[in-house]
Amino acid sequence: MNMEVQSRMSKKLIWRYLLIVVLLAWAVYSLMPTLKFERLTDAQKTELEEEGKLIDLESRIIKRGLDLQGGMHLVLEVNVPDFVKKIAQHQSKAYYDLIEKVDAQYAETPEVDYLNLLLATANSDSIRLSRYFPTSERKTDNKAVIANLQKESEHAVIRAEEIIRNRVDQFGVSEPVIQLVGNKRIIVELAGIDDPQRAKDIIHNTALLEFVLLKDADYTQDVISRIDAAVKRINPDEIALADTAVVSNITSKDAEISVSELLGIDETGMTSADSSVLVDQNLAADKPFSALLRNLGWDIGVPEENYRVVNKILNDSEVKRILPNDLRILFSAHTKAYDSQDGGKVNFYTLYFVNREAGMTGEAVKEAKAELGSVSSEQMGQPIVNVRMNAEGTRTWARLTGANVEKRLAIVLDNKVQMAPRISSKIPNGRTVVEGFASLAEAQDIEIVLKAGALPAPIDIIEERTVGASLGADSIERGVRSMLIGLFLVAIFIIIYYRGAGVIAISTLVLNIFFVLAILASLRATLTLPGIAGLVLTMGMAVDANVLIFERIREEYLKGKTIRSAVDNGYSRAFITIFDANLTTLITALVLWQYGSGPIRGFAVTLFWGIVFNFVSGYFISRTIFTSFTYGKKPLKKLSI
Amino acid sequence: MFQFFKNPSFDVVAKRRYAFILSLVIILAGVVSLFVQGLNYGVDFSGGAKLQIEFKNSISAEELRSLFSESGLGHAEIKSSGVNEYMITISADESDESDELLNTALAGVEYEVLQIDKVGPKMGVEMRNNSISAVAIALLLILVYITVRFEFKFAIGAVVALLHDVLVTVAIFSFFQWEFSLPVLAAFLTIVGYSLNDTIVVYDRIRENIKIHKGKALKDVINLSVNQSLSRTVITSLTTFLVVFILAIFGGQVLFGFSIAMVVGIIVGTYSSMFIAAPVLVMWENYFKDKEDKKKKK
Repeated sequence: MNMEVQSRMSKKLIWRYLLIVVLLAWAVYSLMPTLKFERLTDAQKTELEEEGKLIDLESRIIKRGLDLQGGMHLVLEVNVPDFVKKIAQHQSKAYYDLIEKVDAQYAETPEVDYLNLLLATANSDSIRLSRYFPTSERKTDNKAVIANLQKESEHAVIRAEEIIRNRVDQFGVSEPVIQLVGNKRIIVELAGIDDPQRAKDIIHNTALLEFVLLKDADYTQDVISRIDAAVKRINPDEIALADTAVVSNITSKDAEISVSELLGIDETGMTSADSSVLVDQNLAADKPFSALLRNLGWDIGVPEENYRVVNKILNDSEVKRILPNDLRILFSAHTKAYDSQDGGKVNFYTLYFVNREAGMTGEAVKEAKAELGSVSSEQMGQPIVNVRMNAEGTRTWARLTGANVEKRLAIVLDNKVQMAPRISSKIPNGRTVVEGFASLAEAQDIEIVLKAGALPAPIDIIEERTVGASLGADSIERGVRSMLIGLFLVAIFIIIYYRGAGVIAISTLVLNIFFVLAILASLRATLTLPGIAGLVLTMGMAVDANVLIFERIREEYLKGKTIRSAVDNGYSRAFITIFDANLTTLITALVLWQYGSGPIRGFAVTLFWGIVFNFVSGYFISRTIFTSFTYGKKPLKKLSI
Repeated sequence: MFQFFKNPSFDVVAKRRYAFILSLVIILAGVVSLFVQGLNYGVDFSGGAKLQIEFKNSISAEELRSLFSESGLGHAEIKSSGVNEYMITISADESDESDELLNTALAGVEYEVLQIDKVGPKMGVEMRNNSISAVAIALLLILVYITVRFEFKFAIGAVVALLHDVLVTVAIFSFFQWEFSLPVLAAFLTIVGYSLNDTIVVYDRIRENIKIHKGKALKDVINLSVNQSLSRTVITSLTTFLVVFILAIFGGQVLFGFSIAMVVGIIVGTYSSMFIAAPVLVMWENYFKDKEDKKKKK
């Protein structure tokens, strides 16, 4: 009888061991590439790369999250308010009032959909939106206009994704992730980059290149006088308050100012600025805006420290209202140093008054090449971008330059003026040189974005997570060290408490981690730092399963049952408890996976598989090992538990 | 056989009042703290930027602060996080231009940015809403699961215990003004799962003992079950506590919030499954029995 039970059991056990061997073989097979990869030296890696085998190997290892290998995770979103403003036409006072109202509301409740807000406000003020946003469709009620805007902004996101992909490809990052999320977001993940700032600029600069004619001097002077009047009308404190630091700067230097320099734009003027900076008190009272500007020969200069105030005035809604519709006021991309009378240097931005409508845009660009200006040219040694236009662009460029000889033309990139040369003659060959870059690297970045094309809509970075490579390596080390120390302490505790059974528990615990890593490798899942935390927690849960079982076995054993039935009963009774308890954690892991982002998902993934394999190793394998002792040829005399 | 407890017989049910009072005091203190100082939301939820920067040469926090305030980052919070290493938090209003401002502030200083976490204010609000719905959905699903597997009164007890755990942990986080970030939230959800784990182990015993000891008062069955599962609860909690405690010490800055939330949660969760979840069953039973008795008298 006893023999019969024993032989039936050993048949069962053989099958179980077979299953375990298969599982182990699978785990070893899955983890082999990772082990191989980790042991490669850099030289061996390059060798494999040359043979073309590295990519294949890399695709079979456990991927490290950006937080472990270093990298950048960006969430980009189309700036709908800016997009709407960009495509608006026939902008009038009523339009500015409407937009101002909507913007004010949006600033308070940024979580509300901007277009819905626009619709509601336009409806309540009975404004026909089709006036500003003409559609090609027959329906022109506000709802249809908003639906059309929605569609256009969604198209813009899709195009933006393509363009960003092109830019990133040219930037040269290995395995970038560029992904559309919903209908207005793009996720960009770049691993192992050295200069995050540069990568960010390349990704999210609109790169809208425009060739725009400058307004003439009389017109410009007239506008400045009007701004002076407007600034005087509105409470100057209002501007001052928001920028106290700069304003106090102005007042402190009041005495140094002479009146004459601030009178208008003098085309015959000096080539270098003279010393006295900023504002005369009398002029500040009479012409508060002019008082902030300086005459720089052909150009209007804005001392670097005045930049913020001038920008603020120009963006003030009262000021915007009195500006002509066909005018744009732009700053230069960089400051330029001029000698001051006392021998020092003063940095100036240049302020340009240009047409609203661009004569031509970067769509005409066929080729762009960044280089240093050749020896014989005007831009000798300076970083420049040589631009060649396509056929249509060449024609437009010839017409534009031919019709405006002797006038000045601003080359504008993302609303910042790179340069504003005077057109000396018609340019028939569709070529031009763009200068005004701070460094060759910047010119090279512009080359990339010009080639990839401009983004159809302004894009904001709404979330950024960057981890330096050194911190990533540090995190792995800390994570692994915590895991090993944790494992060691748990092992000591459990083995002291449960003796022989404790050894089984710890072996299955190690197997559990082994299996989770194997499934991560075969599913190409990503291991993140929270993922390592999930592994650590899995250790805790795996121990729990064994503790539940062992406590049950002890109870049964103390009741006087035989070793064999105590073990069998312990396992089967504990199963239901382990099942219920682990399933609720499984629910949590699933919810986390659904709602979490990036690294948190990594946690959910390891927790999930940790629990699944807890049943496999913590229950199934542990039971198999334990049973083979109790049903062995030499039955146990004493339970080591 | 090495045992912590040999035939323990604590009267958990009778002593429930002490437990309830203790929990209430902590939760009330937490509510007061929430009203007075609120939660210390990290940039994940409040928006803003958090940067970890390592400097090549030694620089003091004061020097950094003056560099920052000169270039318009006057409200930046600067905390040392290692040798020549600082954690800089910039609020949402200033973080828009933080890249440029930081470049100007640190021009001429040699440094390496170790980590940037930057979240737009809109994204922050969104993450907060998402998180609240995540916790709510997790609790709801668990309620459903326990109702299916046990009985509704068990589900009530479990959810009361869970709410208790979350409230106490939030109270402690508010009280000590520890930063509340996304990883901490993940820890909270894990605590929910973990504490439930304990609760279910006890409930499982109660369910089993109700069948075995028919006719015994619920109060006695509960006491028996809590005591029977006492060593398991203590050992499991101890080992899990051990691993997350190690993680809190050796896991580094990034995992600290997560680990400390887990440490607190494990203590609270273990306590609640014995002293809150189980006694709530008795209270629930008594409440309905009283009602029934009154009905009968009428």
